[in-house]
Amino acid sequence: MVNDAGQLYTMEGIAAGLIMILTAYIVVSTTSIYTTGDTHIPDMQLEQLGSDVLAMMDTPDSNGGENQLVEFVQNNSSTEFAETFLRYCNAKTDGTRDNLHMSASVTYRENSEIKERPLVAVAPDETWTGRESAVRVTRWVQLDENASRRDDPYGPRARAVLVEVLLWRA
Amino acid sequence: MLSLDLLAGFTIFLLALIMVVSMVPGLLAGLESSSIDYDAVAYRTGVILVEDPGWPVYPPWESYNEDQKEEIIRMGLAISRDTPNILLSTKVEKFFNRTFFDDDDYRNKAIFGDIPYSYNFSLNISNPDGTYELKQTGSPMPPGYGYIRRVVKIKEPGVAEIDESFKDQYTISDPPGDEGSSTARNFTVRLDFSHLLDPAINPIYQIDPRTEPVNVTITDFGGYLNGTYENATLANVTFWKAGRDFPPVSLPWLSFSEEKPDSYTLYLDGDSHNLTPNTSVNSSISLVLKPAAISLFPLDQNSILDIRFNFDDDPPRTNITGTHLYDYNATNVTHLDLKTAVLEVAIW
Amino acid sequence: MARLNEEGQWIVLMGLLVAVALFFLALIVNQSALVGQTTSEAVLEFPKNDIRDLRSAIFDYIDAECNEEVEQDIIAISLERKNAVVSFSVGGPQDVQGHKMHPVSIHYNNGVTAYNETTHY
Repeated sequence: MVNDAGQLYTMEGIAAGLIMILTAYIVVSTTSIYTTGDTHIPDMQLEQLGSDVLAMMDTPDSNGGENQLVEFVQNNSSTEFAETFLRYCNAKTDGTRDNLHMSASVTYRENSEIKERPLVAVAPDETWTGRESAVRVTRWVQLDENASRRDDPYGPRARAVLVEVLLWRA
Repeated sequence: MLSLDLLAGFTIFLLALIMVVSMVPGLLAGLESSSIDYDAVAYRTGVILVEDPGWPVYPPWESYNEDQKEEIIRMGLAISRDTPNILLSTKVEKFFNRTFFDDDDYRNKAIFGDIPYSYNFSLNISNPDGTYELKQTGSPMPPGYGYIRRVVKIKEPGVAEIDESFKDQYTISDPPGDEGSSTARNFTVRLDFSHLLDPAINPIYQIDPRTEPVNVTITDFGGYLNGTYENATLANVTFWKAGRDFPPVSLPWLSFSEEKPDSYTLYLDGDSHNLTPNTSVNSSISLVLKPAAISLFPLDQNSILDIRFNFDDDPPRTNITGTHLYDYNATNVTHLDLKTAVLEVAIW
Repeated sequence: MARLNEEGQWIVLMGLLVAVALFFLALIVNQSALVGQTTSEAVLEFPKNDIRDLRSAIFDYIDAECNEEVEQDIIAISLERKNAVVSFSVGGPQDVQGHKMHPVSIHYNNGVTAYNETTHY
């Protein structure tokens, strides 16, 4: 090489060009909106798990058998609901338990009003800070018309109610 | 000097870059955690296993043997595509069969990744008696694996158990009438497809012989024997297609003299036999007809399939007769309750 | 500027080029990570479980002989709690392959996802 001064200019130009392209790329990509990515995955996993559990509680074990979810909602049995839900939710294949917590409510319609009735309250020993990343899963439940069902809080007519479960990892 | 200018400028640029990056979360998401991709693959694999019946459907992939393994496209465990989270026990058994499937099969037929992911599938079934049954395949999990957990229920195929309580119903009245003059005795189990596949029945509880094995078990066979005989001879088991408008026609069978555990199993007093045993039996007869065999018959959704057990002794040693309906009557076919189970998929 | 004492600048420039190249390679490698992120976003965004649940609720409603109050319940609560506009209609039984079935049409729209289905139950 006799004189490589020109080549150095070229290199400098390339470097400057790359830096400009990089800057432009970053500026452009900042305009596309991304929300916090990492929290989506645990949310997605929790939501899927919660939906599965509600669906399985809504599936009788035999044809015409007892539907756990309907029974729990109909009889307003919050302890059994929480116990069954968490038993399904926290079960892992290696036999250990996961650490998920839940609260639940039932939404129903009374004439033109939508009312909400708590089904499972947050247990008092759990300090619910409100900072937990909770997900909400829902399931429709249909209650049959049954005039003899007097302890039913939702009245005697046939109705569809929405069970909403708030699920979070402690 | 250029180096100084450049370095100063580049430093400023880098500082600005770091600020921009830190201000825009998600722009370079995952630069430090590649587990995000694993979670997505685990989710996808979980959906395939739990919400999909696999491919091919008829005959179902789990009925394929070693020679046909390449024809299995996708291993899904669900009963049908309309019943997510309800798995069929025969699919589960086949899926966790490590002598049948190897690493590449799981990667190509369940995970569908571009790169050879490592995996660990585990399923913990809780039995009604409180015990647990763990099924697992794959390697031990390192830290940082992608993960999904699904709650499922497992359906067991029904069993038509014919015990002594049916004795009066399925015995020729004594003294024998016209039938008594012949030495042949036959007992029929009838599958009416139009009744079994009635769409009004929830697919979760449906008996579908096209996807699940048909199990006919005669226990207490001794109770059906005549007088002092200690056994009777089961000549053969034949299959008939009956119609509403025409008499039953015999169905061809590839081979009656060869045992085919992929298509059927026949146990007489606990010993395995082919379909023409000509062997004496005194306590139990158990026939399991698998979907691979059903798929060989020219049957449609309105067909009636008769399974006929033919006994032949001179003089007759058993007076068993009649037609047992394989249907939704809980007395005729025993259905086990669905079992709850937890499926975990780990990918890395 | 580039004429004086430029031996060290080669090294600096080459280092810069290599660093930039590495940066881009890292970006490409991590495209898969972004795919994972967008997948989980898409999963959360797409109301698969809601739609399935709605379908089964409508089939339950048909089993319970199409009580009008139940229909109102489903529509009103969907709008209030799930921000979804739901409408459905069930026709009289028709003969489908020898079985009596109801034609059902379902419409669901939560502003992001619209779902329409016509089926038989």
